[in-house]
Amino acid sequence: MMFIRTAILGGALSLVLATAAAAAAPQRVKITGEVIDSWCYLTEIMYPEGSAHHQCAIWCAAGGIPVGILADDGQVYLVLKFEGDDTSNANPGLLEIQSHKVSVEGDVYERDGIKYLLVDKVLGDRGIVNLTHDDYGIQPFGE
Amino acid sequence: MTRLIFAALFGGLLLFGGTARAASSWGLPGEEIVRFDAKVVDLLCELTGDCPDRCGGGKRQLGLLTDEGTLIPAVKNKVAFAGAADELIDFCGKRVTADGLFTTNRGHKLFVLQFLREAPDGKWRGANRFSPKWAERNGLDAKDPKVKQWFRNDPRVKALIEKQGKLGLGPEADRKYMESQ
Repeated sequence: MMFIRTAILGGALSLVLATAAAAAAPQRVKITGEVIDSWCYLTEIMYPEGSAHHQCAIWCAAGGIPVGILADDGQVYLVLKFEGDDTSNANPGLLEIQSHKVSVEGDVYERDGIKYLLVDKVLGDRGIVNLTHDDYGIQPFGE
Repeated sequence: MTRLIFAALFGGLLLFGGTARAASSWGLPGEEIVRFDAKVVDLLCELTGDCPDRCGGGKRQLGLLTDEGTLIPAVKNKVAFAGAADELIDFCGKRVTADGLFTTNRGHKLFVLQFLREAPDGKWRGANRFSPKWAERNGLDAKDPKVKQWFRNDPRVKALIEKQGKLGLGPEADRKYMESQ
C-alpha cells in the first residue's frame, strides 16, 4: 500500500515538473519594430521589408505563415498571440498592421533559438515608415 | 535572385505536386533536406500550457516536437505564400514523419514541410492541403483556376489591398508610384 502511494505521489510530482518545464517562465518585454513576414525575412528569398514588401506580407500572413516583429535591435520575434486573441494562423489584427512600425508589450518565450512573442497590448502604431519601394519596387513580381 | 524566388514560391507546386514523396531543394540559405519523426504540437500550448482541444482547431501556429525535445516551428508548406498549419492540423497530437527542408539563416532555423504521413507507415500526402481548404472556405471548386492564385483572389486580401494599397500607403500612393514607373 505504501509502495502504491509513493508511486502515485512520485508520478504526480513528475507530471507537475514536466508541465513546469514545458511552460517555462516568460520574459516581460516592450519591443519596438516592424511587423514582418517571418518567411521572407528569414530566408531572404526577396527584399522583405517596408512598403516594397507590404503586399507580399499581407499575402503571407493571410496564408498562415507566422507573422513576426523585427525589433530595432535586429531580433526577430514570432507572434503567437495578439491583444488577447490566440489566433496566430492568419490573425485579422496582424493582417491590418503588416509592415507597420509598432511598439508592443507582452511576454517572450524562448525555445530552441526562436523567440515567441505573446502581444498583450499595442502601445503605439506609426504605420508604414520604412519606405523601400523606390529602391526595391513591389516585391516579388513588380506589380 | 528571381529564379531563387520562383523556386521557393512555386518550386514545390511545379515539380512535386504529383506523386513524388521525397523533399527537394528550393535553394534556400543553410538548407538541409530532412526526414524525421516528430509529434505535431500547438506551439502556444507547448510553450505556455494553454492547450485548447485539437490544437486550437486550425487557428494556431503548429510545430513539430522531436523525440529529443526540440521544438521546430513549421512555417511553410508547398503552396505559394502559405504556411504549414493547415497541413498539420489533421495530425494534432499525433506522431508524423515529416519530409522537407530546414533553412538556417539570420540565426533562425525554420522548417518547410513538403510531405508528411502519420508515423510509422501512414499514407504519404503532399503538404498542399491549404489549396482545397481555401477553395472550400471560399465556395470554389478545388480545380478552379482562382485557387492557384489564391493570394490574388482571397476576399480578405483584396479588401485590404484595396484599402491600404499594394505599398500600404493608400491607393493614391500606389497610383503615383505606378505612373512613375
